[in-house]
Amino acid sequence: MIKTIAILSITLFFSGCIKDVKPWEKETLAKHTMQQDGINPIQKQFEEHIYFSKEASKGGNGVAGGGCGCN
Amino acid sequence: MKKLITSVLLLTNLYAYEKGDIISENMAAHLGCTDNKIYVIDFFASWCGSCKKEIPLISKANTQIDSSKVQIIGIDVDKDVNKGISFQNTLKAENKLNFKVINDPANLIISEFNPVGMPTLYYIKDRKVLSIITGAVDNIDEVILNDIKEMK
Repeated sequence: MIKTIAILSITLFFSGCIKDVKPWEKETLAKHTMQQDGINPIQKQFEEHIYFSKEASKGGNGVAGGGCGCN
Repeated sequence: MKKLITSVLLLTNLYAYEKGDIISENMAAHLGCTDNKIYVIDFFASWCGSCKKEIPLISKANTQIDSSKVQIIGIDVDKDVNKGISFQNTLKAENKLNFKVINDPANLIISEFNPVGMPTLYYIKDRKVLSIITGAVDNIDEVILNDIKEMK
């Protein structure tokens, strides 16, 4: 019983650290600087060009689906 | 009992308006949805790319609807109200925004609706949520016009 209460208390205590970001709070996340390619998308294209020419392949470098519908 | 549960959920910010729900009297008064028109509530922000694409189309739909029966209201959720107003003025100058907009810098309106994505459209009649469209939709103007036709 004490164990259960302790586990529940710890779980509740640490759940206070979790705060979900609401869709209307994603202004900063929507900025170009927050994109994986960084501030300059040309840099990403350049790196991909080198990567694909070295590997003699194309594709397989991303993930499909998802999207938050915000951008 | 149901009211109590709703109040508790509203306080804990877990509640979201779903299809068939009745919006609060205070919210209806704040939005100006007090008569029996169909209200189309569009949540948008200046930083939201899909919203930018949809607003001109929603404005296009606004020119084709009977304003005595349907009203479109935009809710700008930009936290910086000046940024929001500047965004709206830019759109207005280009004739891409022709519906009433309420600024919600404190995010009180959107927090009560609590949509899962942006942009989101709510159809409301007699304070009842008739339908919800979440996320970017192609040809949203045609979608709105068709939805309204079916709701009448």
